[in-house]
Amino acid sequence: MRIVCPFCGERELGEYTYLGDAKPQRPAADAGEDAVYDYVYLRDNIAGVMSEHWYHGGGCRAWLKVTRNTLTHEISAVEPTAGAGAAKVGV
Amino acid sequence: MAEFSWDVRSPLDRALVVGPYGSTGDAGVSLTEIRNFDLIQVMARRGKAAETAKAAKARFGVAAPETPKAVGTTDATLIWSGPDQFLVLSKGGKHTIEALAPVFAGSASLSDQSHARALISISGAKARMALAKLSSIDLHPDVFPVGAAAATSMDHTSVTLWRGRDRAEAVFSLLVFATFAESLWNTTLDAAAEYGVAIAHAADLG
Repeated sequence: MRIVCPFCGERELGEYTYLGDAKPQRPAADAGEDAVYDYVYLRDNIAGVMSEHWYHGGGCRAWLKVTRNTLTHEISAVEPTAGAGAAKVGV
Repeated sequence: MAEFSWDVRSPLDRALVVGPYGSTGDAGVSLTEIRNFDLIQVMARRGKAAETAKAAKARFGVAAPETPKAVGTTDATLIWSGPDQFLVLSKGGKHTIEALAPVFAGSASLSDQSHARALISISGAKARMALAKLSSIDLHPDVFPVGAAAATSMDHTSVTLWRGRDRAEAVFSLLVFATFAESLWNTTLDAAAEYGVAIAHAADLG
């Protein structure tokens, strides 16, 4: 599997580290224990298109949001996450 | 109180043995470690990329690379190292961290990497063949021309790789973390041995 880094271009999987689901959002401070438990521990086991966080640690050290089909490994989109350099991409 | 005597040595001091290595005959690969350089990491602070670019242009006379490229100036090389960040490689104390700090005050964070990396120059007719065994990126001149750079991994080690000005043939430069330098050096020697290697070290940047 290869991922096209928006900064570096196409690179092999070995340069990346997988974090996991990009969907969960940190709940508000007063959201309660169940919401925090859900955010920290509970994940959907998606068979299909999924939004994931990947880290290009072996390259430009940018965090990326990758849209990947977990059944076929087909990658349909790669975007930088918010942070340094992200604003420049796609402009 | 204990007396400290700092013995400044290259991270490749032990591993580097000047002379021929591997196949006999004409050396297909030249491996030269370059010692004594100033290397400063410049990283734009959040939202200050434009200011950093402006400061770099004023200091170096050329725009700092915003894509994976290495840009030569009259007395430095600016090498892309990631989004909104680049390395300043120079010699002779012209662009030390003390010299650059006022230039980028308020726009970028600087970090002195001069003694944190080893710099290896790889050239020769078979240089690309040897590198191809270690790197997964395409180094063919059509896609990796003079001035191309990459933040990538070789042998599971993060490196900054770029193609500088040719000297009769392609010259690749490699910056690697000092503590990983010996390991990558030995791996590179293994990869290049079949082509014959000429090993050297240089006191200064060419």
